Amino acid sequence: MPTSYAFRLAMQSLKKDKWINLLSMLTIFAGLFIISISFFVFYNIEIATRNLPEKFSLVVYLDNNLGQEKIEQVISAVRAKRAVSSVKFIAREEAFRELKSTLKNSQYVLEGLEDNPLPDSLEVKLKRDAMGSESVKQLAEETKRIKGVSEVDYGEKFLDILQNIKAGVKITGLVLALILCTGIVFVCYSTVKILFYRRTDEIETFKLLGATKGFIRAPFIIEGAAIGTTAGFTSLAAVFVLHHFLFLKLINSVPLFKTVLFPSHVFLLLPLIGMFLGIFGAAIALGRLKY
Amino acid sequence: MEQPDPMIHFENVTKEYELQTALRDVTCSIEKGEMVFLTGPSGSGKTTMLKLIYLAELPDQGDITIAGWNTGTLKESSIPFVRRNIGVVFQDFRLLDNRNIYENISLALRIRGIGEREIKARVYEALKTVNLRHKADSYPRRLSGGEQQRIVIARAIVAEPTVLLADEPTGNLDPETAEDVLKTFKDIHAKGTTILIATHNRELYMNSGKRVLRLEAGSLVSREVC
Repeated sequence: MPTSYAFRLAMQSLKKDKWINLLSMLTIFAGLFIISISFFVFYNIEIATRNLPEKFSLVVYLDNNLGQEKIEQVISAVRAKRAVSSVKFIAREEAFRELKSTLKNSQYVLEGLEDNPLPDSLEVKLKRDAMGSESVKQLAEETKRIKGVSEVDYGEKFLDILQNIKAGVKITGLVLALILCTGIVFVCYSTVKILFYRRTDEIETFKLLGATKGFIRAPFIIEGAAIGTTAGFTSLAAVFVLHHFLFLKLINSVPLFKTVLFPSHVFLLLPLIGMFLGIFGAAIALGRLKY
Repeated sequence: MEQPDPMIHFENVTKEYELQTALRDVTCSIEKGEMVFLTGPSGSGKTTMLKLIYLAELPDQGDITIAGWNTGTLKESSIPFVRRNIGVVFQDFRLLDNRNIYENISLALRIRGIGEREIKARVYEALKTVNLRHKADSYPRRLSGGEQQRIVIARAIVAEPTVLLADEPTGNLDPETAEDVLKTFKDIHAKGTTILIATHNRELYMNSGKRVLRLEAGSLVSREVC
């Protein structure tokens, strides 16, 4: 079948049943728009939590009175661990100076302290892919076993919360996207089914004249693709309008929004996603119809 | 010398609907290039026999062979290709009201994947055969019953099928128009097309010199030359 004829039939049908098609398009648009906004929110949460590990570190406290050579050995042993990105030695004097400057306004806390009570320590930064709470726990235990190390401290609770937030965001996002995509496919499925039943007589004539299933199906697939793509373009336009008229203004006026990112490269895929869902819905409908 | 295979062959064919036997143990053949009339009272099984030939129905018993294809062993995906050998003049016309005459006739060619230039030439040629070339841009509802009948004939012959089936092609026509339609069929037959016309109009086949198959209550009761 010449593709141009299938396109012509699809366009005629889109025009003839314009209200059904418009309604489907708007429903799919609403679904894609909600997915886009949700993605925008989840994307920014993900980015925010992804940057947090850079501020995360393990603090390794060393035994008192370790010689320089021993300290170097401990540093080398810690640095040799696969998950470790960098190791910084903090001398007890430096740590005390830092503590003093931190407690500048609460000097009374340090009153009565004659000696520096702090030990030498190491600040250990981790690689991004080693941020799982289990692997950090394991690293802490391994480090604790190194000779010369007295204690290892890390934000166990913080790490757990971070992991939970990330997992929660990922699962919520996936479930929401799955529900909405299923809804969109169902809308396309129902639309194509309705359009098919409205043209039963015509299709019967096509069949009796020798039309193959491919000839009959092609215009419906194109119609599904056209509805999905149009909905995708409309939601793309809506997202950009929202970005331009709302987020840009918020970014300029509310400091909290300054770090918000707009993933336009992902939103540009909306027409393609719409087309794919439209074709998928139409294909399921045509596969289930008996003709 | 070996006899050539018939174009259409029914072997002990029976077709039943829920509470009624439409065709009962029918055996008959129509040779290549032959023009045959199928007659009988209403409900005798004429339309069922045609439907079995153009594969709108399948037999409950027996074998049907059309242009060498055995319909009993045919895959569903092959049915459209068998139908492309058969032109049908439907009793209820089956013209698409939302398309003009040119589009209605060209549909039979588009289905076969023929190019636009050839479609144009062949559609106008078919319209010329039925003397309705000037109606190409009209819509079916604007035409009289006789004109619609001839448009359906044009659609049936435009793809040059090897078999032409016509179900009551003069059913609603006045005698003069019926005569024109019959003449059209004779012209098509003269080009070598095998034709089977189902009709209860005696005028159409009397003294035609063609074979007449007569059905009664689903059984083939006679096959004589009139």
